[in-house]
Amino acid sequence: MLDLSAVRCQIDSMVADQAEVGNVTYEERVEAALAQLKRWNEDWATLDERLAQSHTPWQTPRIFQGPLAQGIAPPARPERLSVAATDGSQIFPDRHEVSPCFLLNIGYVLLHYGTDDRPLLSSRPTLYWRDEDLFPQWGGRRTAVNRELVGFRRSLLELTELAELAAASQAAGHPTVALTDGTLVFWGLDARPPDFRAASLAALCSAFDLLQSRGVPIAGYISRPGSPELVNALRVGLCPMDEAAECERCPWLGQVPPCAPVEGVSDAVLFRRVLNPGERSAVFENRSRVLQDYGAHQVFFFYVHAGDEVGRVEIPRYVAQDKDLLELVHGTIVDQAAKGRGYPVSLAEAHERAVVRGTDREGFYRHLEEVFVRHDIDARVSRKSLRKRTVGV
Amino acid sequence: MTEGEVTGTRSLESFVDGDGRFVPHSRAQEIDANAAATGRVGEVVESSTTTLIAEARRLHHAPDFGAFVRVESDGRDLIGVVHNASTQSSEPNRRPMAYGKTEAELRAEQPQIFELLRTQFEVFVLGYLHDDSMVHLFPPQPARIHSFVFPCPVEQVLAVTEDPQFLRSLLEATGLPTDELLLATLRHALKGRADEAGETKAGQYLVRMGAELSRLLRDDYDRLSSLVRRITSWGQV
Repeated sequence: MLDLSAVRCQIDSMVADQAEVGNVTYEERVEAALAQLKRWNEDWATLDERLAQSHTPWQTPRIFQGPLAQGIAPPARPERLSVAATDGSQIFPDRHEVSPCFLLNIGYVLLHYGTDDRPLLSSRPTLYWRDEDLFPQWGGRRTAVNRELVGFRRSLLELTELAELAAASQAAGHPTVALTDGTLVFWGLDARPPDFRAASLAALCSAFDLLQSRGVPIAGYISRPGSPELVNALRVGLCPMDEAAECERCPWLGQVPPCAPVEGVSDAVLFRRVLNPGERSAVFENRSRVLQDYGAHQVFFFYVHAGDEVGRVEIPRYVAQDKDLLELVHGTIVDQAAKGRGYPVSLAEAHERAVVRGTDREGFYRHLEEVFVRHDIDARVSRKSLRKRTVGV
Repeated sequence: MTEGEVTGTRSLESFVDGDGRFVPHSRAQEIDANAAATGRVGEVVESSTTTLIAEARRLHHAPDFGAFVRVESDGRDLIGVVHNASTQSSEPNRRPMAYGKTEAELRAEQPQIFELLRTQFEVFVLGYLHDDSMVHLFPPQPARIHSFVFPCPVEQVLAVTEDPQFLRSLLEATGLPTDELLLATLRHALKGRADEAGETKAGQYLVRMGAELSRLLRDDYDRLSSLVRRITSWGQV
């Protein structure tokens, strides 16, 4: 059990520490970042050129479209539109339970606006129990499946199923926008064996290919984003080195560098100062290393004031480059957030469909146990799990 | 990772889940038309010997309060009266919120909420049919879960209410809005007679039921007179 009183002291000191750092200086940093954003407002192409040549340990974007310090008002959502969304949830493999199988549950939502068609709200569980699911072999090595791999498989399935759903909707005559929760950049791929990367990327790119060929835009929505990519770009802009920033040859090593005043500010905090409700920022191109393998489907992003918060919207290249699709995504996100009280309603509903609660998980394992017993299969849970269920004194 | 293969050939039906709640618009209309043709108004979701709860086929479309309904359960037709109806969220952890919009606006702009609501109605079981005649006894077995509920046609209402025993059953039931329910069922019985057999027959029927009521409530003059006062205020039905 958690000794709350012991944690309380630590919480107090943590908050006190952060309050000291924050307050005045943080406010000054935001102001400094805002000043920098305005400085490059019109001249963003120069900053972009500098970004292209700089080498920094932190990630910087490329600027796809300026101006930087001006919000772009949302277009009205088309009268007739369908929004497809998926979300996923899982029961992780648990070696203390009767079986080490795992489960993925995908929630599907398809909401039709401007017609009287019934919405689709559904979920689909899939049980994974075969040897190749539990002991996948990648890079010539067979390893037991773990939470990370299951989580990865889930994210991928969310995206491929979303592509299928949105394509089916479009094919059924509904002009559709596809929304997914979270990033389109699969960070986890970076350190994986080549065959695993190749298989995952093939699935990912085929999803994007399908949507692009059907003219369906897709967007990943990130609520309360913490990334400082654009602020990092402003740091590059502050660097007085000639031509480009080269952090490895930084002359201020061990001192406070000229780029320090804006450090620690997130893009969302910065754009909160710039954007009015509904407005979006300029479009930027993500330059994560993993995207080198995304082929034609490089990931772009913009920030949007969704009413209560500034969210981050990630889109593949074909959406970023098509003015109509980009506007459609912008208008849809703003409308969806308004309907969902600050968070896209389709994503919230998809989550509700997908979620596997603690009681569901319990029910799942107890049913599994029953079936095992009925078929005379050894259905023993580990002593550890048993001990947790029946705690004596 | 073969499950990630994207085909782009799936139909919308392939995303339907096990409980099959979603059906494409065209199919939904077809199913609805079929259900409407059979005339069913609900499906039993909770059942006991004396009462049952049914989910209405359509949102906000429970049978009227005091209406007679028939439940087809395991080869036997149970007869009861609707004594309560309610509409609520079908998800235990979610509650409807105020949106400040009309229903038409909500249907256009928040279509998902109507998928998350359900209308239920409660039925007090009066008895069952045996060879088309009413047996005023609780059925030997409660209605099966998922049995369909149908409104009673007029001739069935007449048959069921011919014997004033239903008044006694209602008066003796506990936990029901008895007097309100009694008046509502009586009104249904009376309207059926007026439509089928004319005002005179209906008047005669009312006198007969009035006599039965005064016998049943002879120990409770206040209640009886209140009921009679309300019945006489109806005038012609």
